[in-house]
Amino acid sequence: MDRSNLTKFFILLITVAMVVNTASATMNVIVITDPTGKDPNGAAAGSQSWAENMFQSTFIMSKDKHFAVLSGGEGNETPRLGAIVSAINSLENGGTAAQAASLANGFSGIRVMDGGPTIGAAVGGYFLAYVVIVDANNTITITPYNGGLAVLPPGDRGAIIHLRNTPGNPQYGTADAVRLQTAEIMGEMIRDGYPATAVVAAAFKNVAINAGEKHGGGAVNLVSGITTGDMFTPPAYNTTGFSMDQPYSKVSPNGWSVAFPEADNYQTSPIDGTNLTTVYAYQALQNAITVTANSVSVSVYGSDAPGITETTQEIVEASVNKHGYSNTQIASDVNKAIGNGLLVGVNDVEPRDINVNQNQKAVGVYYTPLQNNRTSPPWNLPISSSILSILGNMQTAIGLILVILVLFRSTLISSFLKK
Amino acid sequence: MFIKIRRDTLIILLLAFMLILSGRVMTYMSYASSTNVGDQGVQISGIIVKGNDIVPLDSIKSSLADVGFRSGSYIQGDTLVTSKRKVPLNEAIDNAKQAVMLTTIPGTQVTPIGAADVQVNNQTGIVTVNVIEDFSNIQIKGLNGTF
Repeated sequence: MDRSNLTKFFILLITVAMVVNTASATMNVIVITDPTGKDPNGAAAGSQSWAENMFQSTFIMSKDKHFAVLSGGEGNETPRLGAIVSAINSLENGGTAAQAASLANGFSGIRVMDGGPTIGAAVGGYFLAYVVIVDANNTITITPYNGGLAVLPPGDRGAIIHLRNTPGNPQYGTADAVRLQTAEIMGEMIRDGYPATAVVAAAFKNVAINAGEKHGGGAVNLVSGITTGDMFTPPAYNTTGFSMDQPYSKVSPNGWSVAFPEADNYQTSPIDGTNLTTVYAYQALQNAITVTANSVSVSVYGSDAPGITETTQEIVEASVNKHGYSNTQIASDVNKAIGNGLLVGVNDVEPRDINVNQNQKAVGVYYTPLQNNRTSPPWNLPISSSILSILGNMQTAIGLILVILVLFRSTLISSFLKK
Repeated sequence: MFIKIRRDTLIILLLAFMLILSGRVMTYMSYASSTNVGDQGVQISGIIVKGNDIVPLDSIKSSLADVGFRSGSYIQGDTLVTSKRKVPLNEAIDNAKQAVMLTTIPGTQVTPIGAADVQVNNQTGIVTVNVIEDFSNIQIKGLNGTF
């Protein structure tokens, strides 16, 4: 009796110890492949974990000042926030990555990783990390660090990866091997000239599959200021995010796509019958943060109705790829979609409603919403609508009178004949 | 045929049917071509946010939606009519400023927006929000001082 109680007590103690120690069980990775900051995909960062609560606060990005602040999602919440805010504040005021990361040492049990394309990268506080540096002769140097401060100096190509296993992860104990393996993969990819976004996605894939620290989290492109946002983050407090080694969606060569689990029901595209390719979450992450030659950033104003933004994005991308950056062409393609009923609840656009910036590959579309819950724009008829309305009502009335006449025909005729 | 119908009766019925049908079609066409917006006010059509850097756009938009600036709400004169209640427009704008300043970084209680300005265009229904983020003066519950 006494002994079993003691065992229970120890199990409780161990559980408590595990929960307390989850503070830094996460993967944080930051990659810089172009320290000049000119390559739009030249710097990227991301966080994932087995643990819960990997919200956007674990991969904060400044899109104006081009830096990222990464941290773990679990653990002692209050000091973590203090460390994050101090690091952001330091970076906003022009501090280097090393200065900002070293502030994490002032908070117990906390790790902060930060960096940007031109300020280098650093991790400070409590961590187990590898710093990968690829020099001009393409020599890869991988150095292990254990707490304190580890720096990837400004101007160097390279990466930093922190990885520890979360207790409860079925692949517990793999972190040390996978950390080194991932560092090697990243070093080779940086040497071979892959963009940072591809390197980060490869790190996510390797860690998710081999170390099990796989729940998003998410990633950011530091140069172009793109984030995966809430693509993979948990839907609610104390839940886990999307598993980065799982299938995310299926796409056809022409751009039609469907997300899982609905995607299980589709083998071919319902539009043109082409075969669908399965996109895994780490690929979706790479696609989301990579800027390609024909990607267009589309901003939609004037309507927040569901689906308008996504549909407009597709239409504008197709139009730009086909006809180039012409606002008359884009306007006519958008109007075609409104006519087809693809876009609902907005009025036709004119070329002046389309704002095109070819240098930044950006297109802004200004919609005018329709009033009175109408779904499509008013028709342009030569007859005024009030005349039509009167005529229509008169015809309906005459028609109804005729029906009544027919029904009471014999009665009416006989009553006339009597007189 | 178990109902005896004279031919002229049939013709009259057919005529009535055609008249009713074309009458209904014309009424629909008159609705479809009318540009009259009725007496409903200006709908909240979109939200433009400027100045946010670290706080995501979606977080600010959802803060505004919480205080009534969401699709489906409309402005009638000086009143904002939402699906829940009617609020004077200037009061709604004040609420919106408060709500925007309380917007957090997702997953934390950090509220970095130090100042916010909300403007509503009465003609187009577009809400423009200007925010200023300030990380130098943030108080965190449980920690002493500001960060």
